[in-house]
Amino acid sequence: MATGRDPSIEGSPGTGDERSGGSRGVEPDYRFTLANERTFLAWIRTALALIAGAVAVLHLVPLDWHTGVQLAIGFALTGLAIVITVYAPLRWLRVQKAMRREQPLPMTALPVITAVGVAVVCAVVLFGNYWS
Amino acid sequence: MRGTGLQAERTLLAWQRTLIVLIAVALLYLRDPFQEGGPQGGDDPLHRLIPVLGVLVAVGLLIVHLRRRWRATEHGLRDDRTGRPPAPVARPWALVLTSAAVAALALAVAAGAVAGQAGWW
Repeated sequence: MATGRDPSIEGSPGTGDERSGGSRGVEPDYRFTLANERTFLAWIRTALALIAGAVAVLHLVPLDWHTGVQLAIGFALTGLAIVITVYAPLRWLRVQKAMRREQPLPMTALPVITAVGVAVVCAVVLFGNYWS
Repeated sequence: MRGTGLQAERTLLAWQRTLIVLIAVALLYLRDPFQEGGPQGGDDPLHRLIPVLGVLVAVGLLIVHLRRRWRATEHGLRDDRTGRPPAPVARPWALVLTSAAVAALALAVAAGAVAGQAGWW
């Protein structure tokens, strides 16, 4: 059982036993792999919800806000969504590798970042309502 | 083994939900603003069509990939290469493509806002 960091961030190419998250270690129980995949998809849906909010603020709903506030909220939402979309596949891969090596799962700051970001946006929306 | 295919099926449903939401948000972005006089500023609908089409192409690829893989694994029962249920349901490249499509949509929404507000300053 090899441990330690695997420098390659690539899923190995389609050899016979090509599996998720590199070739080191043992293939984890398929149920764990599927759960990891569903977690990734849940993050993606979170990002999509944020984008939907940004579309509403920036394009769809006529708001009587100060333009700067409107743009700030839209950019905060899209920025948060982009952070999540960059992080989600990396997170999937890290969890997959940890499971292959039977290591404890890595912690992530992403839920905290998302929660704080959404809270800040809510605060700015309240502020924006009283601005004009 | 009882209930073998259920986990894979649940994951496929999660994929379907995600792709449906992705299509919905892309179409929402395409929609004209809820106000009289059409779009505000210089962000014309044609401008928005290009990223949306890109996203829809990616979604089409993902749907085809998922369907083919689902059929090849006897509806999530068995992956011929391993003899176990398929995990993950989609290949890793599909996850990356999904992320890229969503990120591209987010960028388009932000950039479109800048283009649309340009006439306001």
